[in-house]
Amino acid sequence: MATPTIHQPSTTTATPYAGDREVVIRTENLWKIYQMGSEQVAALRGVNLQIYRNEYVAIMGPSGSGKSTLMNLIGCLDSPTRGEYWLSGHLVSALDDDELARIRNQEIGFVFQTFNLLPRTSALHNVELPLIYSGAPPAERTERAMAALQQVDLGSRVHHKPNELSGGQRQRVAIARALVNRPSIILADEPTGNLDSTTSNEIMALLEVLWERGNTIVLVTHEHDIAEHAHRVIHIRDGQVAGDTRTRRGDAVANRPPAPSA
Amino acid sequence: MGIREAIAVALGTLRAHKLRSFLTLLGVIISVCTLVAVVAMVQGVNTYVGSKIARLGSNIFSVSQFSLNEMTNPVRFMRAKETNPIIRYQDYQFLRANARLPRAIGAQTQRTGTVKHNGRSLDEVNISGVTPNVLGMSAFQVANGRFLAPTDEQRRAYVAFVGPDIVTHLFGGANPLGRHILVSGQQYEIIGVATAQGDVFGQSQDNFVMIPLRTYQKIYGNQDSITLDVQARDARLLPATMDEMEMLMRVRRHLSWNEKNNFGIIGSDALMTLWHTLTGAIASVMVGVSFVFLVVGGIVIMNIMLAAVTERTQEVGTRKAVGARRSDILWQFLVESAVLSTVGGLIGVLLAYLFTLAAGALTPIPFSLPLGAVVLAVVISTLVGLFFGVYPASKAARLTPIAALHSET
Ligand SMILES: Nc1ncnc2c1ncn2[C@@H]1O[C@H](COP(=O)(O)OP(=O)(O)OP(=O)(O)O)[C@@H](O)[C@H]1O
Ligand SMILES: [Mg+2]
Repeated sequence: MATPTIHQPSTTTATPYAGDREVVIRTENLWKIYQMGSEQVAALRGVNLQIYRNEYVAIMGPSGSGKSTLMNLIGCLDSPTRGEYWLSGHLVSALDDDELARIRNQEIGFVFQTFNLLPRTSALHNVELPLIYSGAPPAERTERAMAALQQVDLGSRVHHKPNELSGGQRQRVAIARALVNRPSIILADEPTGNLDSTTSNEIMALLEVLWERGNTIVLVTHEHDIAEHAHRVIHIRDGQVAGDTRTRRGDAVANRPPAPSA
Repeated sequence: MGIREAIAVALGTLRAHKLRSFLTLLGVIISVCTLVAVVAMVQGVNTYVGSKIARLGSNIFSVSQFSLNEMTNPVRFMRAKETNPIIRYQDYQFLRANARLPRAIGAQTQRTGTVKHNGRSLDEVNISGVTPNVLGMSAFQVANGRFLAPTDEQRRAYVAFVGPDIVTHLFGGANPLGRHILVSGQQYEIIGVATAQGDVFGQSQDNFVMIPLRTYQKIYGNQDSITLDVQARDARLLPATMDEMEMLMRVRRHLSWNEKNNFGIIGSDALMTLWHTLTGAIASVMVGVSFVFLVVGGIVIMNIMLAAVTERTQEVGTRKAVGARRSDILWQFLVESAVLSTVGGLIGVLLAYLFTLAAGALTPIPFSLPLGAVVLAVVISTLVGLFFGVYPASKAARLTPIAALHSET
């Protein structure tokens, strides 16, 4: 990857929805530069984005283009080298550690490309984890985690450990964990990357339900037919936004009244 | 995250790495075990010695050349050697003539020597010159024959009352009454044998020869200070009797009111105090040693916790990604380290308990596990875990979620 020179930000692409809907994710000239020994790798080079409440967005782009890096910044898991990020109107760089933890806990549900479940720990306990950190009482915790697992069709596997589950089942545990605290934003980094098409479709159906309920959904994918589930596709190339288009489904949705907010 | 979850997580990790945890805890186990065992031992021995001293008769005290205070401190002892005259037979006679309160005053002095009979000999025998009335003030009793009598004293007779060791070693267990032993070139006729008292800490109490005090002084001269054993009429009169003895000694020595005693008054409680000082010294050395173990144990725990943090970077990342605060992670690892160390402490207590059981079965000393020491040891081990867990835990807490998630496993 090229060493960065300080650029003017790339032109902001026109957003498909203007309207009066609330902007939940806004980035301005977002840079992420990784230091690899003496070498610098610019994974993001001035990303400008606006995502509205209850949008369903797919991020596409070649491998190494910076999609995961962008998702991690949006998910408050990492901080940008330069540029600014507003989440629901709050400047994220101004938040302290505990506030970020609260956002990761309650506002955002993150589904990782590699699941990131705790090994040696039952599906139930994995799903309970966010509830432990939000201080829910044990009884309520178990009840809500069970409900979330039932929602992803894993009600019969709650005491299985990750290594006793299939890839698709693990991903569903990860999704249950992401939605158990009822966050308004679901971020999924290649949630179907490791799954066959049947399982992929189940996962996509699940995301559809979440969108219907008013969640904002951002997902990274390589597959066009997965991206077709979204209403808007943002293309990333070499750490920059290279395109922003509305899908056919997006057109259809744009012509109906906005969904009730979450 | 509540303490219950944190402890559950900690116990889960312990269970996942049983052997490693045990090895990690060796330092804490050993130190807690020594700590508790030493306390149990000191307490058991104290009880034992206390009962032995009590058997001497609680209403007895002695007047001697040096006080305990002087005997236990080399500097004071050197000084006291200059100032304290020896106690002589005349002092004994003076006290007997003037004291009103005591039931009895006995006198004795002693040295070690070799005792021979018929070609056989026994070394390191306690040779005492005693007045006849020490019978009844000491622990021994007459098993055979008779004790020294006032007439033996007056005649300065060459007669001896011996401990059972003499009989077994020099007479092969045969009746020695009327037979003779040779002590420092002088023949003595055996007139009585004492009952066996056994060992105290491997030291035989039956290895003695008693001869009349006047005979002793005839043979060995009068430059050995004698010690007076004084028996009060009862426990209530003990303090007053001690005061009277002190007063009479000061009068005899012409001490003015501002001069210190140049002799010692030693009661059994003073002996007990001395004993406690001694065992206390041993105990503090052992406690010091166990603290060194504890620190070593703590450092090992810190090391293993640092390894655990590295090993579980991904776990920490996952927890942070779903909303764990720094304090949650800090707490988790602190509790884990404390639980680890506490488990070590509990194992140490268990081992100490087994040790006291074994020691109690093998020795006459009544060992017991003092609850206070157990609680203290467990609390200390917990604190050690907390203390040495701070650094690893804060390292874990400072991990950013992404650095943690990126780490390859
Ligand atoms: N922790 C890191 N340290 C150094 N370089 C990194 C790090 N993470 C990512 N990169 C680099 O940043 C660039 C973007 O990586 P990123 O993971 O965002 O790509 P991606 O679009 O998600 O790729 P993929 O589709 O393969 O998942 C890559 O060139 C990658 O090598
Ligand atoms: Mg990626």
